[in-house]
Order: sequence, then structure tokens, then C-alpha cells
Amino acid sequence: MRTSAYKPWLFILPALAIYLTVIFIPSAYTLYLSFFSWNGVAPDKKFVGLKNYAELLWNDTVFPKALMNNLIWTLGSLTLIMGIGLMLALMLNRKLKGRILFRGLFYFPYVLSGIIVATIWVWMYNPMQGFFNHALEWLGLENWTRAWLAEPKIALYAVFLAAIWNGVGQPMVLFLAGLQTIPQDPYEAAIIDGAKPSQQFRFITLPLLRETFIIVVAITMVSSMKVYDLIYAMTGGGPAESTHVLASWMYFQTFRFANIGIGSAISMFLILITMVVIIPYVYYTTKKSHV
Amino acid sequence: MELKEHPLRVAVRYLVLILLAVVFMIPVVFIAFTALKSNSDLLRNPFYAFPEKIQWNNFAMAWEQGKLGMYMKNTAVIAFIKVPLGILIVALASYAMTRMVFRWGSALFALFLIGMMVPMQATLVPLNIFLNKTGLVNTYPGIILVYLGFGIPFGILILRGFFRSIPKEIDEAALIDGCGDTGKFFRIILPLSMPAIATLFIFDFMATWNEFLLAQIFITKDTMRTITTGLLAFRGEFSTNYTLMNAGVLLSVLPVLAVYMAFQKYFVSGLAGSVKG
Repeated sequence: MRTSAYKPWLFILPALAIYLTVIFIPSAYTLYLSFFSWNGVAPDKKFVGLKNYAELLWNDTVFPKALMNNLIWTLGSLTLIMGIGLMLALMLNRKLKGRILFRGLFYFPYVLSGIIVATIWVWMYNPMQGFFNHALEWLGLENWTRAWLAEPKIALYAVFLAAIWNGVGQPMVLFLAGLQTIPQDPYEAAIIDGAKPSQQFRFITLPLLRETFIIVVAITMVSSMKVYDLIYAMTGGGPAESTHVLASWMYFQTFRFANIGIGSAISMFLILITMVVIIPYVYYTTKKSHV
Repeated sequence: MELKEHPLRVAVRYLVLILLAVVFMIPVVFIAFTALKSNSDLLRNPFYAFPEKIQWNNFAMAWEQGKLGMYMKNTAVIAFIKVPLGILIVALASYAMTRMVFRWGSALFALFLIGMMVPMQATLVPLNIFLNKTGLVNTYPGIILVYLGFGIPFGILILRGFFRSIPKEIDEAALIDGCGDTGKFFRIILPLSMPAIATLFIFDFMATWNEFLLAQIFITKDTMRTITTGLLAFRGEFSTNYTLMNAGVLLSVLPVLAVYMAFQKYFVSGLAGSVKG
């Protein structure tokens, strides 16, 4: 039977065409734009070479801050969000009454959009009427009350707390799935040998969760670098640009200040950072993985 | 055979879980309480107090003045077109890469995968220019096209993986029965892939419903706004009317909650499949 050579192309054409149009070609054009100074409307663009990149690295006051915020966010996600998710998964990985209910409850905030989460938490942090300051006053801790989202030193962390509420569901279910692939036999043997729960965790659970860990870490790192919705909708990058991340700063530079070249350069930095982190990570983890 | 555990351990675990569950519920309960109060009630009475008199019309007002129905309609139209269409496109491509004689299959797969590392920011300006030039800004087709594009890498990752796990014997049996590629695709491979497709459907639907950045850039006309950008506009307008605003938030949460409760098992089980590699 003759296999026509063009038929596979026909099947793959819609996906390929849309992919090239929406992702591939625009990214290449953004790279091109990053070497120009342009306001988005003027017919002429001025070629400036690497000036935009230099500008960001050495003159821009917000760019280093945004970079640092992304780093803080990533570290916080890997420790707190992933850590709490793991803890919940470990606790829920047993025959427990109401297990499904608990799981559903902790996962639910994850299905809400960043905007909804932001709106909920902006109200929680409201200085006059929000939950936190009301609760602190009720507990007699008035001098702990703050304008949570208006103080540059703590605003990012306030937003991050919302991110924890929003985010732990995802690592939780991923770890739960991974835990369920671990058989009971090693544990039974270990208990016979007198192993304590902490030892069981260290020598059985953790090693056998390695594959899941690899995936969850990768997902967590990539989404930390791309974070946008929550920050934009809770603080808009403020107060005093203290909560900007790369994604939000790019938006402001491009669509508020009309610095297309600078915004494009920030986008390129985003791609670069993602690749620099992910490619060695994938290489390293797939190499060491037992096949 | 479940290993026996010390009852104290079990009790502590329950306690911790219940405590955490309560903490997790606080934001939602606080929003609900605020939504059900009147503004004067909110001002005068303690925050933990039950509403004096439940203000059901807060919801009606939020719905009308916030145009939430319009925003939800737009989001629904976009999602219900984009998601099935996206799955079809991705399935066709995955089929070509796994079940057809296709020299470029692996290379193209790598090409698609690279797209997962591209943040949306890197495409916004050129896409904006493109959509403006083709008159697709503020239209359903325009935003659907963009959404389709960004959904392709992940969809191919999932479906290609699943297709590869379907045994080749089935293809051979189909061949003997005289089934061509199109027949094989629609009548054998697709039905067999229903678990993966159902999972992809739920995830893609959720992602589309919650999407913000692209909607923010490519939809600027209020009548075309989605629920995410619409909610932000709503928040801007009613930022000082706290009870109304929280009613609006609660209304936005309800459809998501309904879908979530109905399809919970798909949300969770789907991720399980991806972890097993």
C-alpha cells in the first residue's frame, strides 16, 4: 500500500501553521525589535543595537529589582509552595476519612484565576476593613497592623502569601500521584527492621519520589519566572515599583510607557533566563535518571 | 494491606489537616460574609459577625452593574470554541507524528516543544500589530487564534505521549480491515484516547477561562471582554463599594466552583497521568 508523502503534512499543517504564526514568528520579530528604539506608532524605528540591553542592566532602576523579585519568588515557590504541597500530599496519602474532601478543598484555590485570587486578597489586606487588620485588632495586636500592599518592604511578601494559597494545590496533587506509585513492600520490610517514620521517609519515600520531584521542580521554576496576573492585579508592580517582576515590568514598559525596544529586550531576557535554567536542568536530570 | 499506625499520630494528622482546612477557607468565608452584608452593616459591626440582614440583592446588582453576564458569555463562547478545536488540531498533529510514516516527525516535535519555553510577553507586540492589521482585534476569531497557538505545545506534549502508548497491533488490525488514515484517526485512535482528551479538555477549559494577559492586550472593547478582564474593570469601578465588589467576586467564583465539583476527579487524575511519564 502506498503511503503518500504529503498526507502527514496535511495532518500537521493546522497546528504547524498556527504555531508558527502565533509563537515562532512573533518571537523572532520581538528579538528584532529589541535592537531598536520605537514607540509603537511612529513609522520609523531607530536602530540602537545592544543599547536597550545595556540600558536595562545598568541604568534601569526597576530591572534589577524585578530580577531579584523573580528570584525571591522562585525560591519561595520551591520551598514554601512545593514544601507545603508535599506535606499535604504526605498527609493525604492514607486511608483517611474525608480525604477526598480535604484534597478538594486545598486544590480549589488553584482553579481560580489570578484575578479572582488577587481581588479576594486585596480585600483581605484592606487596611481599614480587611481580614488581617481586623483580626489583629481583635487579638489586641493593633501595632502589628499594616498597609500590607502599600509598604514597599512587605508588599511582595503579602502578594506571595496569596500565591501560596493559590498555588499549593498543584504540587499537592502531583506529589499525591507520585506517592501512589510507591508500593507498600519497602515500608513493610523497613518496619520489620525497626525503621522510624522519619527514616522511612528519608530512605524510601524521598528516593522513590525522585521522578515526581523533577517534574514539580521544573514546573514550579518555569511558572515562577512567568508570574504576572497576581502581581499586576494586586499591586500593579507598586508600591514604588517594589513588587515588579520581569513579566509585569515588560508590560509596563511596552504598553504604558511605549518603550517597545526596552520591552522587547526584557522579553528576550525572560526567554534567556528560562532557557538557561531549564535546558541544563532537563539535561542533568534525564542523564542521571535510571532508565 | 494498610499498615497500622499509632492512634496519636492519626489524631495529630487530623488536627493539622482540619486546622489547615479552616485557614484555607478563611478568604472565601470572609468574601462571602462581606458580600452578604450591607455597607452600613460592614462599617458598624465586627468583621466576624454574621450579616445583620442578608442582602441577596447585592448579587443581582453586582451582576447587572458589573455586566458579569456579558463577560461570562464572551468567555464561554471563546472557551467552547477554542478548546475542542484546539484538541482536534493537536490530535491531528500528534497522529501524524506518531502513526504516520513521517521523516520530520521528531524534528517538528522538538520545534513544538521549544514553544513551551517562550513566555507570552515575547509575542505580544508583533501579535498586536498582526491582529490590528488583519482587523482581528476585539473579535472572537482573533483571541481564539492566539489562544490556540499557545495551547499547541502542551497539547502536543500530552497527546503525542498518549498516542505512543497505544499498541501498534491496533493499527495493523485496522490496516487489515482496510481502514485508511482518516478512518483510523476518527474511529480508533480518538475514541481510545478519551481519558487523555477528557483531561486535556478540563485543563484547557480552565486555562482559557482564567486567562488574563492575552485578553488584556487583545480585547479592549468592553462588550467583548472576558470574565478576567471584566472583573478587573468591575473592580476599578466599584472599588469603594466593598459589599457589591465582593458579591461580584463570589459570582465569578460560582461557575468555576460548579464545574470543579462536577469534574473534580478529572482535575486530579489527569495530573497523575502526566507524572508517570
